[in-house]
Amino acid sequence: MAASSANAASMKVIVFTIVGGLMLFTLPTVLLLGIGMMPTFAAMAIDRRREKYTTLCVGCMNFVGVLPFVAQLWTEGHSYERAFAIMADPFAWLTMLGAAGLGWCIYLIAPGIVSMGIAMRIEQRISRLRRRQRELVEEWGPGVAGALDDPEKREAKAAEDAKQGG
Amino acid sequence: MADVVSVNDRFDIDPGQPLPDYDSPTAKAYACRDATSKSDFLALVCEPKYPLRVEAINALKGFPNHSLMRVQDHGVVNWTLTGRRMPVLVVDRPRGGRVFKSEDDTIEPFTDEQLTRGFLTPLVATLREMSQRGVTHRNIRPDNLFYSDPNRRSVMLGECISCPAGLFQPDKYESLENAMADRTARGDGSVLDDLFSVGATVLSLVTGRMLPEDPDPQRAIFDRINLGSYACLVGGTRLQMNMVELLRGLLTDEPRERWTIRDIELWLGGRRLTPKQVKLPQKAARPLMVGGGSYENVRAVAHAIGRNWNTAAELVRGQDFDNWLRRSLGNENVVEAVNKVTGGANGIQSAPKEEDARLITRVAIGLDPAAPMRHKGFSTHIDGVGPTLALNFNDDATRQKVAAFIGSRSVGPWMSVQTRSKQDLLGLFSKFDKLPTLLNSTGPGYGIERVLYELNEDIHCMSSMIEHLYVTDPEEVIPALEAVAQQSRRPPIPMDRHLAAFLGARSPDIDDRLLRPLGNASDNRPAIDALNVLRLLARIQTLSRNGPMPGLSHWFVELMKPAVNAFHNLKARAAVENSVMKASDSGQLGEILKIFDDQRAQQRDQQGYQRAQQEFTQCAVQIAQMNLDLQNKDSLAAEVGEQAAAVVSGVVGSVGTTAIVILYLV
Repeated sequence: MAASSANAASMKVIVFTIVGGLMLFTLPTVLLLGIGMMPTFAAMAIDRRREKYTTLCVGCMNFVGVLPFVAQLWTEGHSYERAFAIMADPFAWLTMLGAAGLGWCIYLIAPGIVSMGIAMRIEQRISRLRRRQRELVEEWGPGVAGALDDPEKREAKAAEDAKQGG
Repeated sequence: MADVVSVNDRFDIDPGQPLPDYDSPTAKAYACRDATSKSDFLALVCEPKYPLRVEAINALKGFPNHSLMRVQDHGVVNWTLTGRRMPVLVVDRPRGGRVFKSEDDTIEPFTDEQLTRGFLTPLVATLREMSQRGVTHRNIRPDNLFYSDPNRRSVMLGECISCPAGLFQPDKYESLENAMADRTARGDGSVLDDLFSVGATVLSLVTGRMLPEDPDPQRAIFDRINLGSYACLVGGTRLQMNMVELLRGLLTDEPRERWTIRDIELWLGGRRLTPKQVKLPQKAARPLMVGGGSYENVRAVAHAIGRNWNTAAELVRGQDFDNWLRRSLGNENVVEAVNKVTGGANGIQSAPKEEDARLITRVAIGLDPAAPMRHKGFSTHIDGVGPTLALNFNDDATRQKVAAFIGSRSVGPWMSVQTRSKQDLLGLFSKFDKLPTLLNSTGPGYGIERVLYELNEDIHCMSSMIEHLYVTDPEEVIPALEAVAQQSRRPPIPMDRHLAAFLGARSPDIDDRLLRPLGNASDNRPAIDALNVLRLLARIQTLSRNGPMPGLSHWFVELMKPAVNAFHNLKARAAVENSVMKASDSGQLGEILKIFDDQRAQQRDQQGYQRAQQEFTQCAVQIAQMNLDLQNKDSLAAEVGEQAAAVVSGVVGSVGTTAIVILYLV
């Protein structure tokens, strides 16, 4: 037990060292990602659920919005000038924030759509059950519902129905 | 001329020609003609409440002697004058009218010639023939004698079959043993009883008047016991010596000493003996006080304790009675008989107080075995119980006394002290032996009604539904009920206690399995009463094979409606209704029974119904659950929706990332 936690801790140190090393060598990218992924950080900050569905929704879409510019940075010389130039471009902001917004949209709309789906499915099943109940009454008479189990009552009910029908 | 009524398509009765001179106490006489031979006969249209002696009718068929009003035929006819079916006897028509027109009538006394040639000679031949056929007349009295020829030379006996034996015989024309019994309970008796009646009738013929009724019949019985019947009947009448011999021989109270048919024949042939002194009963050394009276001989004591049954128990249990029986009476046979039926002094003393009536009955049997059995004031010979019940069935007191008699089980002890052939009595004993069980069963088909039909094998069914149709055979029951079914006002159900008892007693195929369910109140299935009756009547219809009965079938269709409605499955119910209608059209009750007797179909229906109810309930529970889910769908959707949103975003993100990588970096 103690050995495995020691291994995990050492693994974390190794990962942080590697990531830290990489970030030192890719600072323009880190800058662009850090600023472009701000909506994700905001969502993470307000997401109280353990599963972090909000962060996932916003993060995924936000990353798709940031990634073209990261790719552009890498292909057009990985420099601070280029990074600042991208950040100065309103289209870049529109793309990155718009993608994050799309993530929010998905997050907010999905429960409504799911709710509609659930309602439809339940109503279908209720309808099927009611149809089965009607079939049972047609086959066994109203007494099958339990309220009119007595044949005399059933006859009286049938007579009453006939009277009303007449 | 009124419309003639035909008996068995042979004899035509003219209801417009009553012949009151030939009326019997229980039957009206009408002119009747044989349609083939054109001979004249009498039709006796009988009162249905009086049981006919059918056994005697059958035994007398083809009777050769003309000194008896012979029965030619009998049947049941629709009698318009009473508006019902009536039993009819077709009998010989006497040519010379009645000898005594009424009890008060007086005639010219018969001469010796008239008596011997005109009365006794033909009578002896008649009685001999009847004796050979095992039948007694038991209706021999002066006002039941007719002249058989217009010249009034020969006398014939009137009919003896329209009512129970001895029912209308005045006490003086009955032997002492029969006179001691209730009038309805005298039984068929033996030829010796007929011979006593002949003696009393001869006395009337030679005096030209009937013997007067006694103002106090019970006093007269005790006088006959103490003084002998001869002395009491003849009294101070002056008789010729030859008549004294005949009458002493016929009117003796000791059956073994009474003249037989052979003795009369010898007398008619000219044998003359010194008249025997009538043997009087043996007197005890001292009298015994019973119910305030003093009695000197055993028969008088037996009769007295039988009449004082409610107070005699104390006497019988006392030492005085034991001393009188063992010391004063001096008759070892009587002591032995009393010991046999009571178990001796110990048996008498140990008998419980509540069985006093039974004890008195047994003591009386032991004291006088030849006398009628006496129980709680009911005095009867063994074959007199049935007629008593038949004649007075609607009388509560009669029903109670007959039921008490049967419950007392007195027949066994009585049999044990009889000198008659055991073989004769065995049939009667086995019948009486099973009666208490039948009597104690309270359901339809049992009880006092069943006793009535067990003891009277030939009476008609007294069910109020079909009494007017005079049904005597189970085969006639279904057509009779068909007639009832055709009426506008019919009873609630085609069965009652009388009909069930009648069928139980008369049909060997109707047993407990069919009768017991009629009284089963614990079974509460719909129309179960009608189903049980249907099962019984279907059996009778199958056995009697008397064709379709559509009216009765439709009646049962109505009665069985609750059972049809008990089918829960509507399709099955409709199918059953359809089958029932088809079966009722066939007129066969068995076809209807088949439909309702299919217990498995009813069980299947019941099981299916229960399953359907469960399924309906499950559906309702599921619907309620889903309605709840519907109300809570938003909270459900929030959880699932967030998951879905994450998945969609993940997928879009992955696809987008892949596309961008391909576009920019490859």
